[in-house]
Amino acid sequence: MENRYSRQLLHWGQEKQQKIETAVMLVAGVGGLGATVAQLLVRAGVGKIYLVDDGFVDAPDLNRQLLYSEEDIGSSKLMLACDRLRRINSSVEINPLSGSIDSDFSLPADVQIVADCLDNYLSRFQLEAAIPDETYLVHAGLQGEEGQVLTLQKGRSQLLRQFYAGAEQPDGPIPVTGDTATVIAGLMCNELFALIDGQPKLLNRCLVVSLSDFHISFLDI
Amino acid sequence: MVQIQFYSLLRLLLKQEKLELPAVENETVGQLLDRAQQSIDTPFLDKMLDCDGQLHAGTIILINRYNIRHLDMLDSKVSDGDVVAFFPPGAGG
Repeated sequence: MENRYSRQLLHWGQEKQQKIETAVMLVAGVGGLGATVAQLLVRAGVGKIYLVDDGFVDAPDLNRQLLYSEEDIGSSKLMLACDRLRRINSSVEINPLSGSIDSDFSLPADVQIVADCLDNYLSRFQLEAAIPDETYLVHAGLQGEEGQVLTLQKGRSQLLRQFYAGAEQPDGPIPVTGDTATVIAGLMCNELFALIDGQPKLLNRCLVVSLSDFHISFLDI
Repeated sequence: MVQIQFYSLLRLLLKQEKLELPAVENETVGQLLDRAQQSIDTPFLDKMLDCDGQLHAGTIILINRYNIRHLDMLDSKVSDGDVVAFFPPGAGG
């Protein structure tokens, strides 16, 4: 498929495309954020992507988790995501990582960038702990019509667990809609592509987005 | 002056992003919060503190980029030129 990237090449050029095609990334979580982030990375032609998620598709996921449909309820998100993503772009190497993100999780040695698409602080902190120094972590989170995206470099930036010290998971399900999840996932991918190109826009700088009034602001950390 | 920055739902509630207050010698961030509320029409401390005056888990307070939980919590000192940020992050994904 010679011309599959022709439209994005018009925008970011061959040099950036080559960087994307040799990038190795981990997408942690293939739910509201991760299902869209992984899909956009695969469509753009990222060279190799590892995925990790121990969840199963549930009916409340279907409002925003764009890789899944009704017949998938009860099935492994990880296996479904790998299958769907390979069908979208067979030139991308897609590797599922079984298991959970816990204290035993270890990052494959060739991962350059980690996309934190997780849905709880504990898993985020455990993911961060597994990342070696110098590796980049792009974090995002959302709630209602609010969301944030932030890039950190392990060993050079503050740790996410320091930034979020004291933050606790709210009781019960977090309000999340498909539009907000998709917007934050898109912003996250924009930052991931910029980072692959060596020009992150959110390194130590948290982008805070309110769709409630279409407002953005930045929080330096 | 001390610059106070409000993010996300706090910004929406207060309808303002920033507030500048004159620095007060030896003031803590807890005292600064009280002063901030007095200068804003909308009460907001109940969104950040529980009935015992302790910090809720849902809001992060940073002084010059550092979470006050690594400093002296609400007793952390605030000085002239400091930037204090209040940020309730989105927890989901």
